[in-house]
Amino acid sequence: MRIRAERDDLADVLARAGRAVGTRSPLPILQGILVEVVGSKLTVTGTDNEVTVQTYLDVEAMEEGRTVIPAKLAAEAVRKLPAGAVSMTAADGEVEITGNGPRFRLREMNVDDFPSVTDGFPAETVDVDGLELTKAIGQVGVAASSDEARPTLTGVLFEATDEGLRLVATDSYRLAVRDVPGVSTSGTRLVPYRALRELARTVGDGKMTVGLGEREAVFATGRGRLSARIIDAAFPNYRQLLPESYPNRVVVNKEELLEAVGRAALVAEDHIPVRLNLHDGGIGLSVIRQEVGEETEHIAADYQGEEMTIAFNTRYLTDGVSAVADEEVTIETSDPLKPGLLKGANTDEFRYLLMPVRL
Amino acid sequence: MRIVVADCTVDYEGRLTAHLPRATRLVMVKADGCVAVHADGGAYKPLNWMNAPNHLIEEEGRWIVTNTKGERLVIEFHEIHFETSMELGEDPGLRKDGVELELQRLVAEAPEVLGDGMTLVRREYPTPIGPVDLLCRDAAGGTVAVEIKRRGEIDGVEQLARYLEFLSRDDRLAPIRGIFAAQEVKPQARVLAAERGIEWRELDYDALRGADSAALRLF
Repeated sequence: MRIRAERDDLADVLARAGRAVGTRSPLPILQGILVEVVGSKLTVTGTDNEVTVQTYLDVEAMEEGRTVIPAKLAAEAVRKLPAGAVSMTAADGEVEITGNGPRFRLREMNVDDFPSVTDGFPAETVDVDGLELTKAIGQVGVAASSDEARPTLTGVLFEATDEGLRLVATDSYRLAVRDVPGVSTSGTRLVPYRALRELARTVGDGKMTVGLGEREAVFATGRGRLSARIIDAAFPNYRQLLPESYPNRVVVNKEELLEAVGRAALVAEDHIPVRLNLHDGGIGLSVIRQEVGEETEHIAADYQGEEMTIAFNTRYLTDGVSAVADEEVTIETSDPLKPGLLKGANTDEFRYLLMPVRL
Repeated sequence: MRIVVADCTVDYEGRLTAHLPRATRLVMVKADGCVAVHADGGAYKPLNWMNAPNHLIEEEGRWIVTNTKGERLVIEFHEIHFETSMELGEDPGLRKDGVELELQRLVAEAPEVLGDGMTLVRREYPTPIGPVDLLCRDAAGGTVAVEIKRRGEIDGVEQLARYLEFLSRDDRLAPIRGIFAAQEVKPQARVLAAERGIEWRELDYDALRGADSAALRLF
């Protein structure tokens, strides 16, 4: 294999594919990336056996071939070469990477040990606006759990609805729902969020083809392809958690609320909640940490309902408010011990159900 | 505990032959009869030693320690600089540090962090080689032995593997599987756990403490 490409382009495809490479994989070959050249097309593949990223680049190819090289080292080596053309040559068990003087010679890893990766699609695919999809995933992803002991909660549910696609994630403390109208899919699939959060950084956010198969979800753009193993588990029945209506409702400026919660979080530890006293005229925020001190403030807001005090985990509250796309946020509540609902003041597409903390 | 600091030479014959040339060393004879020869460096491993049970013969300027395996340790004393004996009394044993014990308590109170449907049978479940931290039942009714560490390293995996070996002999507990849980499970420990058929989990101490507080759940 022998190719030449611009340093920045080559560093980019290597680094993007390398994002699927696990840093703690027990299999040494999974620390590598597969570099393949067919015609003038370079394909770089990184995988941890559950998430696979392939990236593409048109290059000047002098000789076709394939090799496996250490992912992080190769990407960094190319990135640190002087700007300009870089050539990569695989021969005699080594890969030479040169450009404008410096030369790296990296030991090849055994290409036969690299997992076989298919580049096909599930039978049903749908074309979507990648930017809209990655934004929607980002909105619900904050509620996904990272606790591998409960794999069901580490995924984002892709659910077909009458209006289009619905994305849902929950870690049992909060639940985020985002409707993406006009995207026609079928059935439901649970896709690992740790794969989805890499979408924008690996395959980009342009026009995207999405395939949700029985075993694999595939997301492809002109820049690459990300596939992830479907989580084979039943998602909680989230619909029963969403109340029909709430008696209390406050509409508040998103930035003002975020800044206030940010100040409260300085005093609070993760497990110390911020109290929201909801009353005519606004929200009284307070946080008290016995051994440190307290912070209090008032935000003017439009409140309808009976005066009540409800407390939330500061991080979870910040996550939910940040995920709202509107300039104004609506918080609906019914009881200090029942979940509150956050959403945009003017849209229902995104909803964030947050369990309070008992005072 | 008898402590001798002396210029000495040491010869060992047994599984192999070893000779320590003349130098100043610390020789310890513990209450159970163990004899250990230490240099002035290293945290724990003696240069040479003889475990109990053994037989110590004290001759003029020379100790001869033998055991039933035919091993022989001869210490020639050229000059004794210091010698003392004192009763240390019964040792309470190694105690787990606070975080590790707290982790065990928190996981015992929320065993579902180890897997959906997991319930606690008991803490410190006894085995012939010491108690395993937690014995649980999974959603399918299977027995799960859990070893909890602050730092998950390979010796912890080996420890759990030994417990599992003993516990699996008890038909009432079969089928039994193991979970190695720690705040951080080292890569080598993960590989060894996979090799031994043991699952591993990383525990979020802060989240566990949070779960222990007033946080409410949706389901």
